[in-house]
Amino acid sequence: MNKSVVRQLEDLLGCDSVLSSPDELLLYEYDGSVDQARPDYVVFPRTTADVSSIARISEKFGVPIVGRGAGTGLSGGALTLQGGILVVFSRMNRILKIDAENRRAIVQPGVVNLDVTRAVEQYGLYFAPDPSSQKACTIGGNVAENAGGPHTLAYGVTTNHVTGLELVLPNGDVVRVGGETCETPGYDLTGLLVGSEGTLAIVTEVTLKLSRKPEAVKTLLAVFDVIDDAPETVADLTSRAITPAACEMLDGWTLRAVEAFVHAGFPLDSGAVLLIEVEGLREAVEDQAAQIEEVCKLHHAREVRVARDAAERDLLWKGRKNAFGAVGRLSPSYYVQDAVIPRTKLPQTLKKINEIGKRHGFEIGNIFHAGDGNLHPIILFDQRDAEQFKRAVTASGEIMRYCIECGGALTGEHGIGMEKNELMPLMFSDADLELMRRVREAFNPAGLLNPGKVFPLGKGCGEVRVPPKTAGVGAM
Amino acid sequence: MTAPQTSAVAAEAIAGQLAQRFGAANVISDPNGLPNYKVDGMRPAAAVTASSAEDIAELLRIAAKDRFAVIPCAGRTKLHVGAPPARYDLALDVSRMNKILGYEPRDLTLRVEPGIRFADLAATLARERQFLPLNPPFLQRATIGGILAADSVSPLRHAYGSARDFVLGMEFVSGNGTASKSGGRVVKNVSGYDLHKLLIGSLGTLAVITAANFKTFPMPPAQAVFVAAFASSAQALQFCRALANSPLQPNQVDALSPETAQLLKAETQNASALPDGKWSVVISAAGSERVVERHRRDISALAEQAKSASCDALGDTHESMQTAAALLGAIREFPALTLKFDPSAVIFRIAALPSAMDRLALELSSAAADNSIRFALLLRSYGFAYFALLPSNKSTSTPQAMAQIASRVFQTCAEVGAKASIESAPLELKRAVNVWGPARPDFALMRRVKTVVDPAGILSPGRFAGGI
Repeated sequence: MNKSVVRQLEDLLGCDSVLSSPDELLLYEYDGSVDQARPDYVVFPRTTADVSSIARISEKFGVPIVGRGAGTGLSGGALTLQGGILVVFSRMNRILKIDAENRRAIVQPGVVNLDVTRAVEQYGLYFAPDPSSQKACTIGGNVAENAGGPHTLAYGVTTNHVTGLELVLPNGDVVRVGGETCETPGYDLTGLLVGSEGTLAIVTEVTLKLSRKPEAVKTLLAVFDVIDDAPETVADLTSRAITPAACEMLDGWTLRAVEAFVHAGFPLDSGAVLLIEVEGLREAVEDQAAQIEEVCKLHHAREVRVARDAAERDLLWKGRKNAFGAVGRLSPSYYVQDAVIPRTKLPQTLKKINEIGKRHGFEIGNIFHAGDGNLHPIILFDQRDAEQFKRAVTASGEIMRYCIECGGALTGEHGIGMEKNELMPLMFSDADLELMRRVREAFNPAGLLNPGKVFPLGKGCGEVRVPPKTAGVGAM
Repeated sequence: MTAPQTSAVAAEAIAGQLAQRFGAANVISDPNGLPNYKVDGMRPAAAVTASSAEDIAELLRIAAKDRFAVIPCAGRTKLHVGAPPARYDLALDVSRMNKILGYEPRDLTLRVEPGIRFADLAATLARERQFLPLNPPFLQRATIGGILAADSVSPLRHAYGSARDFVLGMEFVSGNGTASKSGGRVVKNVSGYDLHKLLIGSLGTLAVITAANFKTFPMPPAQAVFVAAFASSAQALQFCRALANSPLQPNQVDALSPETAQLLKAETQNASALPDGKWSVVISAAGSERVVERHRRDISALAEQAKSASCDALGDTHESMQTAAALLGAIREFPALTLKFDPSAVIFRIAALPSAMDRLALELSSAAADNSIRFALLLRSYGFAYFALLPSNKSTSTPQAMAQIASRVFQTCAEVGAKASIESAPLELKRAVNVWGPARPDFALMRRVKTVVDPAGILSPGRFAGGI
């Protein structure tokens, strides 16, 4: 910790906006991931000008700078791996503009995801990306990580719902990219920035695309006795080109854990359930629901239950969205992956995950965005048992490798961060990474913005790094 | 102002070197064979036909070493887009790289080479009852690489978004001759930087696309097309707004000025369903039979409320569906038909918020009318406009006068918060005004990106926004 940095930050923001004592900093060494890292300074800017000045101080002293919203991220994106200034956006949490006619909202990065929808629902609008942490997570974090959620199956991830950004560059310059219109001549810098995990610039304002609430919604719960029938159903739905708004799978083990916690109404004796939602025009919803029911029955669904009302629907979703809280009650630690596979390969991949788990002595739970092949295998372990922990990490790495061999991706919505950066070579060649590095240097030449993230640091290629003491209780 | 051309001696030397490496059959240096590759009047010293990403990488390495300026192309339907190149030594023709590298209909994913024609690809996808919602103008000749590089305008953007929403990843060779990739082949993926998003709309100034991965979409089983006629742009746009605020989910909503209808009818028989002398709103709705039926019901009611002069529904018979498909095709080809109608047309591509459309329509019409120049307007309900000035009726429209009108159009757009560029214009006008519109502060960042991805500055120099 450098006293001059503290003094300059305090002069700039006032003493009530800067933390630098170890006990205060302790609170900011975690996020939703399994990693931890303590910042040297925590600051709470109120304006873009504040952020710009903070960036200048960071540059002057050569101190890293990392943005943080609610700290719900699952890949360590908001952790100061190399120390430095943690810029917490909790005071930049205003919705600056709602333009219902054009379906746009301009918000500060600290605005909570669900608050956007709450502010615009009076106009029949909502913000589509719906990570499970949406009650807490912020738009700034969503933008940095390109966050997803169950309904991204039909509507896409954050990048598909952002049209413009205000950025602070490491030298303090403030630049606007994109805008409110559907396109802007020139390179799509907005598209590059969303999902760049805080390594290119600090986002201080976000222009969001809002969506119109559908006329009708139907939520179906398909119950299967045999677990393998559920992924077969999803693969079949995909190949028949039936695209629901969301299609989530919970295996028997996971749904029992959830049911004990949330009482969502998942049948305890089932092998797996699919939680499927269809939205849109009333006629489309009815037609799609009928088709889905037929395909589920074809694959031996014991029952296809349609939520009778909003309350029942909310309860089913509560079960889904609080699943990781439920799992947290069962085990001192757990490890969650976020790999994506081609959807036709779901059945074989789930078998493989099960086999890998058995071989390493774990029961692996699966609760995930089945419709777009975005897996979230959960490995329960006790981190106090070093040997068990090592096995968990090995099993996780094997799952990831298998997914990539299937033609998949490392992360569907959680980001690379400091969790999967050493796995990047599984997906990208040296040349791919080199070009991405050069692009990073164009924005962030001194490497002060969120250092140590996204790119492999070369600590043993393709090995899952051993995370420190505590496992996270994230939500996805 | 004339940009420097490669000297005859240097051209011969370049061509010789390339013929040795890529085979004489793949290198054109005979001036008689080169007019096809002209860009804004400039002829390259040679055109090289590449067969693989390796070919492209090697060519760009040679070009980077010797600072040859390279313009990639295939269908050559976008060579009129952009500012006149600062330099142009080599055309890189990728039309032979036209294979489907992978198509998994059951996964709804696709991987193709850049030179594949959209029409050919669409035919393959149609056999699986799938499609790519790119629907570009110049559909018969346009290739995937060019469609992505120019971020071609699709009427289906209303329902499906633009290429950036369904391109899953790309492989490409950047300016220093290195092959790389970004994104992936699965429908959801946030690993690494989305460099492919930078390439969409970059007009070949950063890298040459060697493969693109897409999400494909199921073809809806039924479709209907509606043509409603209105007395004014205000009424037509009011109807578009009512539609946008209804629960209906059409996949295309276009408002055409009377002049646009006239232009399309003059150039093709496919636009016969458009009314004369009126603003028309053309809507396409697709889905299950019941969904289409619902649109039939509600759209005619909405049109009535909006005081339409008429509202015809097409698509209930096979013949009527053919008329509808032909009409949608004619509207899609607006830029191509406009250039056919008037080769000296100046076509603006404008992104505007829906709330700005009324004022935009009025002021753009005035800008043309005040100068006695014919014009055509095509407004897309999702927030897009094509505005074409058609000066051929006026022998006195000098480049200077046209430049003044163009400046006025850019200013009008800026005033209503719209973002404009000129997609097509005669060369004299392109030399007189910046086709990319007024300078913006983010151009500096774009130049930094250009410098790291194409350090020698060999890819399409001068054609892009910000002097890139």
